[in-house]
Amino acid sequence: MNDLAVVLASLRARRLSTAITAGSVAIAVALLLTMLSLRKSGFEAFQRGSGNTHLLVSADSSPLVAVLNGVFYANPPANPISWEKYNEIRASFPYEWAIPTQHGDSFRGFPVCATAPEFFSKFQPVRGEPWKLAEGRYPEKSFEICMGSAAAAGTGLRLGQQVRLTHGAGSDHGHEHTEYPYTVVGILEPTGSAHDRAVFTDLDSTWILHAHDRREHEGIEGMTTAADLTDADRKITGILLRLPTRPGSDASAAIQQQFDALRRDTAITVAQPAQQIDRLRGIVGNIDGIFIALGVAVLVSSGVSILLALYNSMAERRRQIAVLRAIGLSRGRVQGMIVTEACLIGLVGAITGVALSIVGGALAAAALKARIGLVVQPDIDPRATLIVLAGAVLLAGLASVLPAILAYRTPVADNLRPAA
Amino acid sequence: MTHALRMQDLRFRRPHGFGLHVPSLEIAAGEMVLLAGGSGAGKSTLLWLVAGLLRADGGTIEVAGQRIDAMRESDRDRVRARHIGLVFQTHQLLPDFTAEQNVALALMASGEPERTHLSRARDLLRALGVERTGAHVTDLSVGQQQRVAVARAIACRPVLVLADEPTASLDAESGAVAMDLIQRACREAGAALLCASHDAGMQGRFQRVVDVRTFVREEVAR
Repeated sequence: MNDLAVVLASLRARRLSTAITAGSVAIAVALLLTMLSLRKSGFEAFQRGSGNTHLLVSADSSPLVAVLNGVFYANPPANPISWEKYNEIRASFPYEWAIPTQHGDSFRGFPVCATAPEFFSKFQPVRGEPWKLAEGRYPEKSFEICMGSAAAAGTGLRLGQQVRLTHGAGSDHGHEHTEYPYTVVGILEPTGSAHDRAVFTDLDSTWILHAHDRREHEGIEGMTTAADLTDADRKITGILLRLPTRPGSDASAAIQQQFDALRRDTAITVAQPAQQIDRLRGIVGNIDGIFIALGVAVLVSSGVSILLALYNSMAERRRQIAVLRAIGLSRGRVQGMIVTEACLIGLVGAITGVALSIVGGALAAAALKARIGLVVQPDIDPRATLIVLAGAVLLAGLASVLPAILAYRTPVADNLRPAA
Repeated sequence: MTHALRMQDLRFRRPHGFGLHVPSLEIAAGEMVLLAGGSGAGKSTLLWLVAGLLRADGGTIEVAGQRIDAMRESDRDRVRARHIGLVFQTHQLLPDFTAEQNVALALMASGEPERTHLSRARDLLRALGVERTGAHVTDLSVGQQQRVAVARAIACRPVLVLADEPTASLDAESGAVAMDLIQRACREAGAALLCASHDAGMQGRFQRVVDVRTFVREEVAR
């Protein structure tokens, strides 16, 4: 016989209490690890969307707003960029590509992005992961649309169906462009970025819609065609720019130089998406700290439950402790058994919590991808896991201090007397 | 070593109760002594003093040739684990353990190799007539539980067995059987026995009777 056998027998004797206490530790550890894991994958999810763009040009009020609007479709950009300015910027430097985008319309609350064909052939929504079609093809002619995966799932649209877009974003009640129906020609694979919520079309058809509105106000009747477009109609809200790089590299020494050059133009706002996303992470990081603190609070409360479970069992243990002391076990050794028991509960709970967070994280990630197309890859950091494991065991050990002191002070002779 | 226990000028008092003064008490190796006296006379207190579970206010207590009164508590624990066996009125077996585990518990601090604990416990139990050594003690009859308690007391090959009212909760016939068992086990183990009992009918079983009332000193308490 050894001390561990006595501890295990004690745990077995209080199976239900042991299981409930270990379960509370497991839930706390799983919660904390899941938060840590999602924090990391959440930050990675932020990086998705700007893809292989080096610079983003818009007429928004600040670079952060430009990225929020241009990459995350937060709001329709308020100020347009003229087609002339686009051509001027494109010609100012030998960019690898300069893709114009126009945001502002929507379909059932899903934002519409009008763009050039290069958006699908050259821009990658996630670096190293080009667009893939789930069904159909990319828009080739005017008044054709291609649906992001979440937009397709959210609207239930199928290939060949016709839709009418709404002026303005995020509302079903704006002015509907009824004269010009669009045909769904493609549905995209999920990318795990905000683009999955968007509906894509070409620039010409968007310009025609708005030119038609203008012409109606001017009292000009009849359908509007591309031939009726004026330079003023050709407006965009963003330009995605990529500079030439060496093969296999995403970096270019000219990015900062070109960023500074474009910044001198006061008519536009230029942003390096990666930098702005880092700023965004800094802001969100504070909120994330609150969640981590909550997870730690849950872990501490599970420590309290260990303390209560042990404390409540002390009355029935006194006789056992007295017997162990009577047969020669020292106070310290009996005290050590109580601490070991608590640490074992903490360890078993923590290991179960790690397993729960791995299984739960995988299930949650699969559900998020299947339901809303959000790609979150739970990634449990071994170092963080070890720290949480050690923390749970340490906390359990601390929780056992008071019961261990009670065990230490148990009067042997008094507890060996037969019950009256 | 000729004495299992030797006490000289032992003094002990409770804050609000009686006091004990034992001028001299010696128990030879293998000797069987009855500690007589009514309930509350101080028999158990004297046993706990000998076991080192209570600390005397003065005097000397020597168990197996070692002065336990001068020892630190942890050393007294060690002497108790290696040289003293205890039998209680209500057996005090641990219900979460099997019969053999209850006996093996007494070897945990005895210094005997851990690998021998369970086999020695089984041998002892079988020698005392307990065949279901792997059964939980709560599944055994009261008589079998008594045997397990006796096996636990002699497991560490003690020099001295202290029995506190081992038959108080039994009828006369069962009490006699239990006492036979304890004395036989002590004899076979070569251990001295100091048995506290208020049952005057047991006096004939012992080589010597010591009345604890001769040790009670009210003035010590004052």
